[in-house]
Order: sequence, then structure tokens, then C-alpha cells
Amino acid sequence: MRILKVVSALLCYPQPELIAALPELTEAIAAERALPRREREALLALVDRLERSELLTLQEQYVALFDRGRALSLHLFEHVHGESRERGAAMVELLELYRRAGFELAARELPDYLPLLLEFLSQRPAAEARALLGDAGETLALLGARLAERGSDYHVLFDALGAIAGAPATLAAIRAQAASEGPDPAIVDMDKLWEEEAVTFLAPQQGGGCPSTGAGRAAQPLQRMPRPAPNTPH
Amino acid sequence: MSHFLDRLSFFTKAQDTFAGGHGLVTGEDRGWENAYRARWQHDKIVRSTHGVNCTGSCSWKIYVKNGLVTWETQQTDYPRTRDDLPNHEPRGCARGASYSWYLYSANRVKYPMMRGRLLSLWREARRGRDPVDAWASIVESPEKSAEYKSKRGLGGFVRSTWDEVNELIAAANAYTIKRYGPDRIFGFSPIPAMSMVSYAAGSRYLSLIGGNCGSFYDWYCDLPPASPMVWGEQTDVPESADWYNSTFLMMWGSNVPQTRTPDAHFMTEVRYKGTKIAVVCPDYSEASKFADIWLHPKQGTDAALAMAMGHVVLREFHLDGKSEYFDRYVRETTDFPYLVRLDRGADGHYVNGRFLRASDLADGAGQANNPEWKTLAFDEASGNLVVPNGSIGFRWGEQGDLVGKWNLEQKEALSGAELRLRLSVNEIRDEVVPVAFPYFGATHHPHFACTTHDAIQVRNVPAKKIRLADGSEALVATVYDLTLAQYGLDRGLGGGNVASSFDDDVPYTPAWQEKITGVPRAQVIAVARQFADNADRTRGKSMIIIGAAMNHWYHMDMNYRGVINLLMMCGCVGQSGGGWAHYVGQEKLRPQTGWTALAFALDWNRPPRHMNSTSFFYVHSSQWRHEKLGMREILSPLADPAQWQGTQIDYNVRSARMGWLPTAPHFDANPLELTRAAAAAGQAPADYVKAQLLAGDVRFSFEDPDNPVNFPRNLFVWRSNLLGSSGKGHEYFLKYLLGTTHGLQGKDLGEEGGEKPLEVEWREAATGKLDLLVTLDFRMSTTCMYSDIVLPTATWYEKNDLNTSDMHPFIHPLSAAVDPAWEARTDWDIFKGIARTFSEVCKGHLGVEKDLVALPTQHDTPSELAMPEVRDWKKGECDLIPGKTAPSLIVVERDYPSTYKKFTSVGPLLDKLGNGGKGIGWNTQHEVEALASLNYTVLEDGVSQGRPRIDSDIDAAEMIMMLAPETNGHVAVKAWAALSKITGRDHTHLALPKEHEKIRYRDIQAQPRKIISSPTWSGLEDEKVSYNAGYTNVHELIPWRTVTGRQQFYQDHPWMLGFGEAMCAYRPPVDMKTVEPMLGKRGNGNPEIVLNFITPHQKWGIHSTYTDNLLMLTLSRGGPIIWISEIDAKKAGIEDNDWIEAFNVNGAIAARAVVSQRVPEGMSMMYHAQEKITNTPGSEITGTRGGIHNSVTRTVLKPTHMIGGYAQQSYGFNYYGTVGANRDEFIIVRKMAKVDWLDDEAAADAAAGH
Repeated sequence: MRILKVVSALLCYPQPELIAALPELTEAIAAERALPRREREALLALVDRLERSELLTLQEQYVALFDRGRALSLHLFEHVHGESRERGAAMVELLELYRRAGFELAARELPDYLPLLLEFLSQRPAAEARALLGDAGETLALLGARLAERGSDYHVLFDALGAIAGAPATLAAIRAQAASEGPDPAIVDMDKLWEEEAVTFLAPQQGGGCPSTGAGRAAQPLQRMPRPAPNTPH
Repeated sequence: MSHFLDRLSFFTKAQDTFAGGHGLVTGEDRGWENAYRARWQHDKIVRSTHGVNCTGSCSWKIYVKNGLVTWETQQTDYPRTRDDLPNHEPRGCARGASYSWYLYSANRVKYPMMRGRLLSLWREARRGRDPVDAWASIVESPEKSAEYKSKRGLGGFVRSTWDEVNELIAAANAYTIKRYGPDRIFGFSPIPAMSMVSYAAGSRYLSLIGGNCGSFYDWYCDLPPASPMVWGEQTDVPESADWYNSTFLMMWGSNVPQTRTPDAHFMTEVRYKGTKIAVVCPDYSEASKFADIWLHPKQGTDAALAMAMGHVVLREFHLDGKSEYFDRYVRETTDFPYLVRLDRGADGHYVNGRFLRASDLADGAGQANNPEWKTLAFDEASGNLVVPNGSIGFRWGEQGDLVGKWNLEQKEALSGAELRLRLSVNEIRDEVVPVAFPYFGATHHPHFACTTHDAIQVRNVPAKKIRLADGSEALVATVYDLTLAQYGLDRGLGGGNVASSFDDDVPYTPAWQEKITGVPRAQVIAVARQFADNADRTRGKSMIIIGAAMNHWYHMDMNYRGVINLLMMCGCVGQSGGGWAHYVGQEKLRPQTGWTALAFALDWNRPPRHMNSTSFFYVHSSQWRHEKLGMREILSPLADPAQWQGTQIDYNVRSARMGWLPTAPHFDANPLELTRAAAAAGQAPADYVKAQLLAGDVRFSFEDPDNPVNFPRNLFVWRSNLLGSSGKGHEYFLKYLLGTTHGLQGKDLGEEGGEKPLEVEWREAATGKLDLLVTLDFRMSTTCMYSDIVLPTATWYEKNDLNTSDMHPFIHPLSAAVDPAWEARTDWDIFKGIARTFSEVCKGHLGVEKDLVALPTQHDTPSELAMPEVRDWKKGECDLIPGKTAPSLIVVERDYPSTYKKFTSVGPLLDKLGNGGKGIGWNTQHEVEALASLNYTVLEDGVSQGRPRIDSDIDAAEMIMMLAPETNGHVAVKAWAALSKITGRDHTHLALPKEHEKIRYRDIQAQPRKIISSPTWSGLEDEKVSYNAGYTNVHELIPWRTVTGRQQFYQDHPWMLGFGEAMCAYRPPVDMKTVEPMLGKRGNGNPEIVLNFITPHQKWGIHSTYTDNLLMLTLSRGGPIIWISEIDAKKAGIEDNDWIEAFNVNGAIAARAVVSQRVPEGMSMMYHAQEKITNTPGSEITGTRGGIHNSVTRTVLKPTHMIGGYAQQSYGFNYYGTVGANRDEFIIVRKMAKVDWLDDEAAADAAAGH
């Protein structure tokens, strides 16, 4: 899906090469049929703004949004695994996924960097791309909602991804959360976020044995870990 | 993988039960288990550690999989040390175990960053201009420089490239050198022991171009000045394993389980051997729960407690003669028997004065060399007045028979006769005289109890008459006599102010201290008695572990000397399992003499520029403009105020011009221009500058800090979070040094009136003094947020380096488990890159230049004997003699275009001048040759051709280890041999068994290696004893590096006498006067309370590292917190977890309250260095983001820390100098009315890191 490459490019740190390629991107967006018109037009408006703005200003805005803090990190596992040890294993698995498809990482980046993942998916069959994007749906929707809350038109990129993969069922809740959270919910609501559920050894389990919830995780590297979503705003 | 084909559709395997039906055999697919198996697989394990200032120095296994660091676990392969000692391992704590995800966290600095405003100015200026001219065009324009300086801390960063940032930095450095002088470039990086190659990278660059390296140990207030005063040693302490040899442990203001986590097990283990643990700590800390007895004095009054304990010990074990061991110990290893002159004071009293010196007597008592530095005592057997071996005069310049008399043999220096020094002159006294002692416990303080005793305590002292050189008579008493009097012990000599019972309310009795500390007298007596009794029976195995809680007070010297006196009285110092265990800052860079050559480029030019940072920041962040602590407030009541005028900065200016403390910049002139002008005038540079100074045409920079020629222009910060952690007076830094938004509330002395300095020009306040602030870090710290350029550096798992600690004897590597992520580079590569660009960019502006370095008198060099008396040339009291009454003025040639070539090779000065440290030197040609064959030599043309290469960080590590005695047995033997010449005793046996041992970088990657004993340190590391400070002094009879050569209870410098600290005394905290102007004036409707502001070390972080780590924050409350007591909380209507504000004239903090029974009333605790970049709302007082802990503090200087040219009280980098105390500070605390997250600033905040 070429449009994923377009979104990937637009999510990268704005450089002169990107600005030079904007007409090409415009063309690709206009020609994209996988995307509803509304999303297409929103993307074109973003491209238009990039074209009209001074590069240094764009760069400052980008750094302010994406290069600092967790809330808008473009490294997906930041949202999925935070600083837990799970993240290492998940990144390794993602790397394996790329390799199995015949791609080697050539940039000095981590495998869970969203523009990088999108570029990979743009090279994959549409169904597979949609499925993997769907796995990351909640995280992507949350990022988009946070950007919208901050008044950044970068959110249209996430809207587009949602349109391609299908918005997650919890979209409304995610948006409500983004609308009401403080500067960094991961910290403000830390107590709630990290509160562990009490272990009940006597609860009925399927098959009667210990739960083995991690079993399927390896095959779905983008699945959200069962860390409770930050749903109680500060 | 679904394992579909593995699943059976038509069959099932026979099921069976076992164990009577309790077990069930099933045959289900177990393929999912592979996910778990693979999860713990890895490609390699690499040994590294955490280069953080925590003394842990723990060995860790770093697991790498597919080029990514996945996790770390503790290493468990430490070599066994000695029989009967528990193992060291596992070392490491929760903080270290959570480090690996810093590597890939959102907070990582990934690219070279520059503030957008500066970048666009630079790109514009660079068009058609040479880089140096481009930089000039920006900083010489007031509008342009204000444009980017005022944006500091307000975000607006963009990514740049290495080429671009290197060029800008190089241009700024070259411009600054050319226009103002190299001494306007300053670098701050702390605690080299934690990653010594990374430190050396920056300091080598700075030392080659002539920039200043700022000290840190003193600035962090980790340096206890009492240690240089008493021992002439910066700090030397037992390794933690030696706790296990102790039979009575006191933890005094040191929270061992929290701040020494990997070592704490030695303390908990030794309790099972029966060792008693006494804890002294005002709050119920983590350490308190390990106590057999917990004493909790009011914070800041520890000296009173220590003095009262000393009173008990002196009474029972010394005066009443209970311990033969103590008696012998103090006679032979302390200054107790040495004679002090009693001078006539006012009102018919006497006052204790200087040590009696050989120069006071006829014919210098037969001592031709340094008679003014040789102290005297009475010999018991002969009754003679004698000059024993070992005083500092014997250390330097002796000829013939007197060489080799600098030792602690109990012998008369000239005759070699055996001596038994007389402890007291009481038995041979000529009279008993009233001596006046200063007493500070009656000083009023709004928040500390005082007593009603007289400020001058007159006590009777036995005295002996002696005849002086001029024929007059003088009275002398021993330090022991004076100490007994100072501690208030009744010896039956009559007179008042002495106690015969512990229940007398006389200063320094256990009864007296109750009112000040709140500790019951019975507890004081019991602990003192047990401590001493144990030491007596075990020959010194009583130990005191001590920490920041004691050292961060303005009068830390009194806290420390009180405790040290106790240890010396009990014969504990230098004995296994005993002594003074101060663990504050990872101060022990074990291969020190190998490292200094690399770090300060001593292989290319000497001397380097070193600056004491406390004075530097105090002056340049204009804190002196707000000074409210008058020096007369702390003067001795016996001193004549007319003789002691001026403010803190005045004392610092005097100190600097007398050659005691350094200044940066040196003068209000470019040192490159000074040598040029001297040449033009046909004079030697030193003579020329001397004349200019005398004429007043050249002045020290500190005399006029607001003059633009005296600004520090460029600042490098690496391995440090200067503005988020150690910068006392944070808001002053922001306003004056950086010129940006700040929360400072107070007015300066100009606006407010008040005592202005006498020696300093008062001008309109300058702001935004720094042209360029460059910070290297792997995470976006508070300092990074305020920097102009942020350089992404390698994490501790991405570089090769060395790490040592005072807590254990091993040398550790940091190893590159993976390459630096994103655009990050190692510190070594970063500074190498800057050096390379600088060497190109400077061409046409700088060539081979002659730089003039002003060097203060230095400890451990002959110049430590510069000033037997205080003489100020400016007041006409003496001639200006560089190196004697003023700083040395030394010309250093700098070949600027060859900076890179020098950076990357070992220079020829090592071959020519040798290597050494701490007063000894040795030839090291052999090691330079060995380095050449190990690292190969430089082939390219230029100054470095044929020299050994230091290209990579490993090359640099090899240079350190090749040159240092601790890692090269051959050098160790040479070093001991060099010392043997001065002491006249053969010490080489300490290293000979390890002569052929050479530790290479790859060796320590394989396993931590134990270092080799060297004379750089006062302890031994061998198969028999654990490392213990002072061990070689006591057992090898090597003198302490003090006036008497002994441990000194007594300090006789005129400034010590003037400020009443010749002997230890209790001094209450000083009144900082920062609360009154704000109290009740900026009400928000909630009650306000005033609390003492204490900043202990973190539980969930180490300094500022980890306080932005989500895992660590999760364990606490996730953002800034301040602990307060339940009682105070009730008074202010504060409940646990409420948002509160803490403020005073220095600034404001917003934090959450932790209301806890742990905290005593009247005190608050804020773990220091909680970043304001995480979870900090706006302050109602400042209207901006709440500050860091240092937003409510500032620096205050103490004149006694400025003394120089006086044996142990001489300057040394991180050895002596002003220290950044901050615990005397008070704050107003109240509940916040409205918590404003300042969301409107969201966009800016995201960039500003809030």
C-alpha cells in the first residue's frame, strides 16, 4: 500500500528532501483509492501546510511534539511496554518479522519506530498490512487523539491509518481519555496505571491449570500488553 | 505459528492419572513454551557498569540480542578477597537493574540538537563568513545574542548534524580564546571515577586549549574540608568489606541501606558476629531500623552530640587513664603532644595561638631548612624540648642527613634519639593560666535552641614557660591540654566553665547537649562509653560511617571534626575495622596518577587550569549580589571585628590574590595578550604581570564580575546535570548566567541596601553572561533543556571506559555491549571530533600562542609551605612574589592548530618530566615505550609523529592503566621507592609481590581485578587486611600530610583562629534570612509554616539519574515530593499527597506532600535532584513551572575554606576550597490553592520538557 509509505514519510523529521518530494506525495495521495475522500483531503491540507511553512519552524514543531516525552513517542512499544523488560523481547520479535519478510534494518533506528513500520507495511500485501495495523490500532488511535487535543494537524496521519485498518472499537473512549488527560498521563496517573490486580489463586481457570496468557503473544508483536489503559483522568 | 499440523484431530493420547488421582497426564501441544525459551535466549553477555555518582561500581551482565540490549543482571564472579569475609557479590540495586531501557526510552537524546533560533542565526551568519567571524557576528550583536539566550529553557530545539555543531562549538571556542582568552572557557564534569575516560575526553580537550576544568567534589559538598584539615588527605575511607571487621559500628547521618545498597550486606552480616550498631539520624530512616540504639538529635546539631561523647571519652579513658592503648596512639599519631603558644588576649586572659615552631627558638632549634614548618614537643624522659621527625618542614628541601626524616618514628630529628612525647605540660607546668575559648552555642537562631552560657568561656590551662629566639619568654601548652579545656573537663586546676560531672550544665557535657540536640544524656554516655570500651579492647575496631547529612551544613567542619576527634581519641583511625568512613560521592579514582596525565594533558603541557567550582558559580551566577550572611556573624567572639571586614566575596578575592584559591578567568585581560604585551615591553611575562597587578592596571576577574571582559563565555557540561541537580542557587543561574526566565524572588543588595563588598566593583547586574552552553547527555535532562546545544552521548552500555569506587578494591570496565544508538557517540569520540574541527577552524585566528597560567600554591608540592604567616601584598604587607605571596605566573605554549594531534597521542613531557602525584614522582619512560608497542605510534606528520597513539577509548583506558601504580606493579614499586626516599623507610615490600602484574583493559572485561597497593592512597589492598584509610600512616609510619605530620586536633592558621575553629566546637546552623521577606506576604488563603529544608540522597534515583525513569518513579509518587511531619502537616492543613508549594526569596518549588511519622517536627525533606521535567505543575509564587530542589537554595562560602599556602590547608583540585553547603536553608510551606499544569504552554512545554 503506497499510502503507508506516504504516511511514513510525513511522520519523519521534516528535511529538505521531504519538502522537495511534497508534490510527489500530493500526487500519490490524490491517486490513493484505499482512503476515503475526507482523509485524503485532510492529508493534502497537511502537505499544503508543510509546503507553505519555513522548514526550521516545522522542525521545531516536530521536535517539540515527537522527540520529547512519552505521550507522543513514535516508538510504539513505548506505549505498549513502557520501560518494562517485555519491550526487548517484543523488539527482537518485530525484527524477526521484518527478516522473515526479507527486509534488513538499514537505518540507525529501533524496529518499533512507526515510520519504519509503515514503510515495511507499505511493501506487504494489503491484508497483512491491515491486520498488523489493526493490532496497533489502539495505540495509533491514542496518538492521533492526543495530537488532535494539542491542536496539531499531524493527527490526520493517524486518522488515515485508522481509515485503512478500521478504527478500534474503543475509539470513542480513547478520544475521551486523550481529551481529559493532563500533560503526561503515564506519570500523573501512575498509581492507577501500575496498580496490579490482586492475584486470586482460586479463581476458576479454563482447563483448571495456571493461566498461560502469554502463549500467543509472540505471533502478534503489536498486541497491547495487558497493562490497564489510563482511563481515569487526572 | 499456529502449530495446526501438530494438533491431533482424530486421535487422543491415552490419559492417565497418578498420585491417587491428584495428578493428570495430558498430551496437549506445548509449542507455546518456545516463546518463553526464546525470550531468555541472547546472543552475548557483556560486562559493564553504571557510571553514576553512587560509589556502587557494580559489575553487571548486559544481555544483547539481535544488536539490542534486552536486559541486565548482576555479575557474580568477583574474586574472593580474604578468608572469613563474606563475598562482595551480588552487587547492584533496583536502580541499576532498570537502567537498560534508558537506551531506548523516549527521553533519550538521539541527535545533535540546537535551539532553532541559534541555528538560524548561525546559518545566516555563516553565509560568506569564516566560522569564527560568523560566531563573532552573533555574539557581538546585543540583539542577536539576547534573541537566543532569552529562549534558553523554553524549548525550540531542532536536530542538527555533527559537522554543523562541531563547527559552531569550535568557532565559539576559537573566538573566545582570541577575543577574551582561553580561561573564559569552562568545563564542568563530576566524579571521574565513575567513567574516567569519558571525563578525560573533555578535560583533555580543555586542558590542551587552556580552558578551565571545574571541580565537583567540593561544589557537591561531598568534600569534607575537615579531612584535609585533620589529615592533609582529600578523603580516604575503608572499603565496605572492612565494616565486617568492625565490632562497633556507628552510622551517623548515613543511610547505608538506601544509598550504599550493594554494600549494606556487610553491615547486616556483621551484626550476626555480634557487632553493635548505633545509628545517629534525626529521622527514622532506612538505616535507623538496623540500629541496636537509635539517637535522633535535632538536625544540624550533631557536633554538640559528638562533643559530648568526646567529653565522656576524655574523662573516662584519657584523664582517668583507663586505656593504655589510647594513650600510646594519641602520643604517636596525633598532635596531642605538640606545643601551642598561649598569647596574651584582652581582659588578662590568654588565647591559644600558633604551634610553637623551630623558627621561634634560638638558632631555629638547629633546623636550617624550613624551621618555620617544624613543630615541637617535650620529651618525657629527657625533659627536653625536641623537634621530632615528621613535621611538614622535613618533607621538602632537606639536604644530607636530614633527608628521610619525614616519618613517624618516635625520634628526635637531629640526634635520632628515641622519644616519648609528653602529652600534657601539667606535670612540669610553670603556672596555670586562664585561657579564653570562643563559645557559639549561645548564638541566637530563630529555629534552633541556644544556651545561655557566655560567648567567651575562660578555662584554666597548665602552661610551661619557654625562651624564644628574641630572648623573651612565652607560654606553651600541649594540644591535649587545650583540648581537655575546650571539652570542658575539670582537671582540678581551678577556675570556671569546666565540669566534674556529666550532669553539670557546662558546655560539652552530656547534660549540656540535651537542650540543643534533644538526646537524653544517658544515651550519649552509654554510646560513648561502649564505643570507646570496644575500641580499647579491640585496638581500634570502632567505626563511624558518615554521610551527606552531616556534611551539607555550613558548619560541616564542626560536625566532622567532632566525630573525627572521637575516632582519634579512641585510636580507631588506620586500624582494620575502625575509623572514619565518609561515603559521599565516588571520590576514589584508584589509578589516579595514570589518569591525571591523560585527563589534564600533562603529557603535553603543564600546569592545567583548575578552578574551584563553588567560588566560580557563586561569583558568576551573581549570588554574591544577594548575600545576606555577614561574615561578622560567624567570626570568633575573640577576634577583633576591625581586623576582619568584608563579605564572603571579599575573602575570596583576598584568598585569590594571595595565591590561595584559583580564579577563572584569572585577570581582566586576555592571558595571550599579556604575554604579547610583556614581550613588547621587553619583560619576562611574570615580571610584567606583577608590575601590572601592583599598579592596579590588571585586576583579578573576581574583583569585577559584572564587567563583560570577566564573563565566563563558553561552558561545557558532560556526565552531569549541573542545572537540574548540583546547581545551588538554580534561579540565580537562570537569571544571571543564562539570562532567561527565572523564579528568583529576592532583590539584590543594590536595590535593597545591605553590606556591599569592599574589594569588588559594584555595577549594574549583568545577565546572560554565557555565550554558549553545550551539554552532552544520553537523556534530556534539565541541564539539556537550558543548553544551546545538546550532544547525544553513548549510554553506559555503549562505550568502553573504566570505573572504580572507594567501596571496594576492584577496577571495573564499562563496555560497549552495542553501538551507540541513533546518532549518539561516546564522550571520547565527541571531544575528539570537536578537537579535530577546532584544529581546522582556529587556523588564521590562532597559531602557536603563549598563554599565561596563574597557579595557586598547591598541596603536596613545595609551595604548600608558601605562607607561614598571612601577608597581603595589596595592603603593602609584603612584596608580590609569584608562587609565594601570589599565584605563580607560568607561561604555557599552546599550538592551537595541533590540538587534535596532541589529543590523540601521548605527549613527550612524560618522558622528560616523568609522572607522579601526591608529592612524589618517578621516571616513566619504560611505560611510555610499552604504550607505544601496545597502541602503536602515530605515522602522520606533525607534533605527534612517532608518539604512542590514543585513538580509541580503549587506547585511552590502556594509557591510564599502563601509567598508574594501582594497575601496573612495576610502577607501584617505583612509586613506593620514590616515597621511601622521603620517609627514609623502605616501603617497596608493599608492592614487590605484585611487581610483574599488569592489568589490561581486556583483563577487567574478563573479571573485575583487584588493584595494587600504591602510595597514592593511605590504605593497603592485600591478602591480609581490608582497605582502610590511614593504615599506612599508622603501620608504615608515613606521616599525614599536615603541619605536624600527625592527625591534627588543632588548626593554627590565623583564619582558623579568627573564625574560632582552632579546635572543634558546636556551631549552630547559620541564619540564611531567606524566609522573612516572603512570610505571609504572598498569601493564597492557606496557612504557611516554616521548615528546615533538608535534601538527602534519593531512594528512587541516584542524584538526578533515574528520577526520570518510569520504573523508579512508579515505586515512589511519580514526581517531585517533599516529606513533612504529621505535626507540621496538621498545622498547615496539609494531607498526604496534597500539592504543596515550598518557597523563599531564592525561588519556589511545586511538589506533592508525603506526610510521614518518619520526619521530625520542623524539618522537611526533599530527595535531591528530582527533575522538574517530570510531573511538575506551575508555582503560584513565580507563575512559571515549579523549580527543582535547588530553586530554594543558594551557595554560601566560608572563609576558612579559602586558606592556602599552609601545609594541609593548601589548594588542590577537589582537595581544598569552598564547598556548596545548603542545609541551613529554610522554606515556607503551604498547600496550593490551585494546581495549574500550565497546559496552555503545552506545545512549548513538550519542547521544554515539562
